Amino acid sequence: MAKVMEGIKVLEVAQFTFVPAAGAVLADWGADVIKIEHPVRGDTQRGFLNMGGVQLDPQRHTLFEHPNRGKRSVGIDFTTAEGQDVLHELAKQCDVFLTNYLPQHRQKYKFDIEHIRAVNPDIIYARGSAWGDKGPEREKGGFDGTAFWSRSGIADCMTPEELEGPLSQGIQAFGDSIGGMFIAGGISAALFHRLRTGEAKELDVSLLSTATWAAGANMAQALETGIVTRNSMPRSGGSSRNPFMGNFRTSDGRTINLCIVSPTGLIEDTFQHVGRPEAAADPRFKDVLSLIEHADAASEILVQAFGEKSFDYWREQLRGMKGQWAPILTLIELAEEEQIKANDHILEVDAADGSDKPLKLSRSPVEWDHEPITATRSPQPSEHTELVLMEMGVEWDRIEQLKAAGAIA
Amino acid sequence: MKPGTRLKSAVCDTEVMVIRGGEGTVECGGAAMTEDGAKAGEPAADHQNGTLIGKRYVDSGGTVELLCVKAGKGSLALDGTPMATKDSKPLPASD
Repeated sequence: MAKVMEGIKVLEVAQFTFVPAAGAVLADWGADVIKIEHPVRGDTQRGFLNMGGVQLDPQRHTLFEHPNRGKRSVGIDFTTAEGQDVLHELAKQCDVFLTNYLPQHRQKYKFDIEHIRAVNPDIIYARGSAWGDKGPEREKGGFDGTAFWSRSGIADCMTPEELEGPLSQGIQAFGDSIGGMFIAGGISAALFHRLRTGEAKELDVSLLSTATWAAGANMAQALETGIVTRNSMPRSGGSSRNPFMGNFRTSDGRTINLCIVSPTGLIEDTFQHVGRPEAAADPRFKDVLSLIEHADAASEILVQAFGEKSFDYWREQLRGMKGQWAPILTLIELAEEEQIKANDHILEVDAADGSDKPLKLSRSPVEWDHEPITATRSPQPSEHTELVLMEMGVEWDRIEQLKAAGAIA
Repeated sequence: MKPGTRLKSAVCDTEVMVIRGGEGTVECGGAAMTEDGAKAGEPAADHQNGTLIGKRYVDSGGTVELLCVKAGKGSLALDGTPMATKDSKPLPASD
């Protein structure tokens, strides 16, 4: 496959998902990503015991694997002066410095931009934060649950007003994984800019900026109209204006989603496919404007029709329909779909438990030249310390001294 | 045992890199590991806990440290005493 980032070295001093996910994307694209971990504790992500009510197996730690596949791990204690020296030596030879440590910690442990640029003026310095690197809250930490989901207005938009309280994010590292891709995009542009002009940029992506972009269409409309649009309660039926927009329950309690936002030329085809050709001839539904005017009547016809047949029936029956539709699937059902297999969405890596059963991960979202992304497993904590340090020109005697001093592991 | 030396198991697929060398004989599956890795039978019944790739193994005195670069069925020992994985101790977290 195309390793578009081959030859690029990324030094990652980061924990959890958001910023490490950017490193994972770059690793998927062929970059050499060196992950710095605490010699004893490792990335705190490794310490997650439970997620979504499921107990995690430390040897098959999917929450660690997702944002850390394809990297190498080097154990450095950057709270020590010797550890800081080693970090600076690595930074000298890297193209990108990637971090989500808070500003006060970057200062205290001497890997803020001025320290890193002092040893390598050409390095791209990429920061991920919760709230942004400017403003009164720049020193405050956060997770996607707080910054991307709760404060951002997204939880409010997602929750129907009839519910007692806001829905929670529901998907682990949802905002983190989206935001990680944003950082990777920024780094790619920075590398391109450096190549063209010789100038190395610093860049910031926050979980909040991830959210305001992801919710940007709603944000613009809300700021224009003063009206915040929110989710409606689940029900079988089309929207009050466009009957071809909505979820429809099947006879066996599953759901088909119609999303025919622009029904011109599709009205007859839609009614025919749901087995209501007589509705196609109904003058109330002769064009889009009259369909909108008689939305409730059209919705009722669709609700009845969908309710008569099973989910599997509809999945087959709607295959040839011109309008846009989708079955509501689970993640596990999705992984079995022919379409997702044809587009190589799931990649496999070895698990740390030594078994033959691989871990199945989502590939990062960009595919190059129609070729599947291949990745290797995530590293064990400090797995590559000696290897990477020797590659970087550190002599074995010094490695032993640093180990004895506890600066590396 | 010199740091950087690669040792191969005589009885399974395990390969290790010596990170910290010390006195004694490194064994895998009950048999001494060698640089050439000439095969000599199967792992002994009581030495079959297996090795995991990427893991570091240390003896109780901390004199020898090995990095497993290829996993196998045998377990590692120094002069007959089992070696243990050097595991990180991550801070507990949960959702």
